[in-house]
Parts: sequence; structure tokens; C-alpha cells
Amino acid sequence: MLGAAGGLEFFRQVLELRGYRQQILSADLANASTPGFKAVDLDFREALAAAAAPDTADRIWLVDDPRQLPRPGGGTPKSAAEAVKYLIDRPVTLDGNSVDLDREKVAAADNGVQYEAAATFASQTIKMLATAIGGSSPSGAGA
Amino acid sequence: MSLLSVLPIAGSGMAAQAERLSTVASNLANANSSLTSTGQPYRAREVVFAAVSPDVEASGAAALGAAGVRVAAVVESDAPLRRVYDPGSSFADQSGYVQAPNVDPVQEMVNMISAQQDYQANLEAFNVAKTLALKTLSI
Repeated sequence: MLGAAGGLEFFRQVLELRGYRQQILSADLANASTPGFKAVDLDFREALAAAAAPDTADRIWLVDDPRQLPRPGGGTPKSAAEAVKYLIDRPVTLDGNSVDLDREKVAAADNGVQYEAAATFASQTIKMLATAIGGSSPSGAGA
Repeated sequence: MSLLSVLPIAGSGMAAQAERLSTVASNLANANSSLTSTGQPYRAREVVFAAVSPDVEASGAAALGAAGVRVAAVVESDAPLRRVYDPGSSFADQSGYVQAPNVDPVQEMVNMISAQQDYQANLEAFNVAKTLALKTLSI
């Protein structure tokens, strides 16, 4: 039981960070022609490791606003924006833009699939919990 | 929810590219307009994009994050005007030349293709976010 509920919390974090990465990637795409704009990306491995770590000061909460109240159990709210990094060693155009349209599109598609996978896992976890509670499959015939 | 913030960002990209496209259309339509309301020949216009972070004012969040785009300015090209030899025209100067717009059709075409690609990329990002949000609703 506890394991399944913990898994749900993990997938919640994965979904949040994947959603955030999607936001970063779409910002890159929106600025594909902005002079001087440098492409960024979320270091997903680092962000998830920080988000899934036990409650410490280093733990990343995806907060919408730094004034948000800290969660019980310690840790200061940090933004996942701290795991966003510039893509270095990328060709830069004459106007100072380093967005590679193809790379961003591929990354967005890949991130989308990963998001769907996490959503499916979360959904299965909920079904599993429902089965444990009700004793029968939620979609099954009998109650 | 971060996924829904993708929609305004991709939307800002689409709006900006649409404005760029309309500038291209304006330039092509006026490629031969030797007279505008200022009395001067038409000058090619270009949009200037600037990244804008939606949550800078709200939270003072780190600059390195998701940013939309906006059209910061529309500038007129300062390339020299073309000079066309047309002694019959009423606008011709003493040596028979007429000043014509500095629109470069080849450059406009390239600009148009680039705008199209960028627009498509934004649309793709928009659709992916929409699909994912719907998928999340079905958890």
C-alpha cells in the first residue's frame, strides 16, 4: 500500500517536471527567431534527483511563486528553474540566436512521450490502489 | 500547472510569427509602391522579436526559464532605395530616374519560409501540450 502511494508521489513529480520541461522547450521554439536568444533546456536528471530526494534544503519544489509556503517536513521551496541550463557548444547564428529548431522539436516529441508514459504509470498505480481498497478491479464486472 | 503555461508561450510565438508574415506580405505588396502617405517611396519593414518572461513581474523568478516572445518593434530597412530608369514617369528626376522601394523579394521569400517553419514548430508545441493535458485529465 505504502509503496504504491509513494509511487504516486514520484510520478506526480515526474509529471510536474516533464510539464515544466515542455514549457522550456516551447519557449525555445517561440524564440527561434529572437535575436540574441540562447537556447535553454531543463537538466531532467538533476531536477528529478533533487525533487525526489528526501526533505533537505537542496530539495527542489516546483513552485509557482517563491512566496509560497514551505511544505511541512522542512526544505525551502526552490524553483525547478535552477536546473535550467544553457545549451552550450551550439552553433549560434549571426543574430546571436542558438535555437536549433530540429533539436527542439525532437526533444519536445520525446518529452511528450515520456510524459504520457508517466501519466500511464500514475493511472495504473491509482487502479492498483483502487483494487487494494475495493478488492476488485475498478473496471471489472463485480463489486 | 506548468503544462498549461505552454499554451500562452506557444501562442505568443504563433502571434509573433503571424505578424512577421503580415510584414512580409506588406513588403511584397508594396514592392513597387513609389509613393506613400509621407511622399517617399515605401521602405521594407522588418519585425524585431524580443523574449519576454511571463512571470518576471509576478514573482521575480530567475531569468533563465520559460519565456514567450513578442514583437518589440517594427523597423524600416535603411537599405538604399532602388533607382529605376523611367523618364516617362511624373516622379522622374532630371536624369530620368524614379526612386523605388528597397524591398528585396528574395529576402522576403526567405523570411516567409522561415516564418512558416517557426509557426509550424510553435503549433506543434501547442498541440503536444494540449494532447498531454488531455492525457493528464484521463489519469
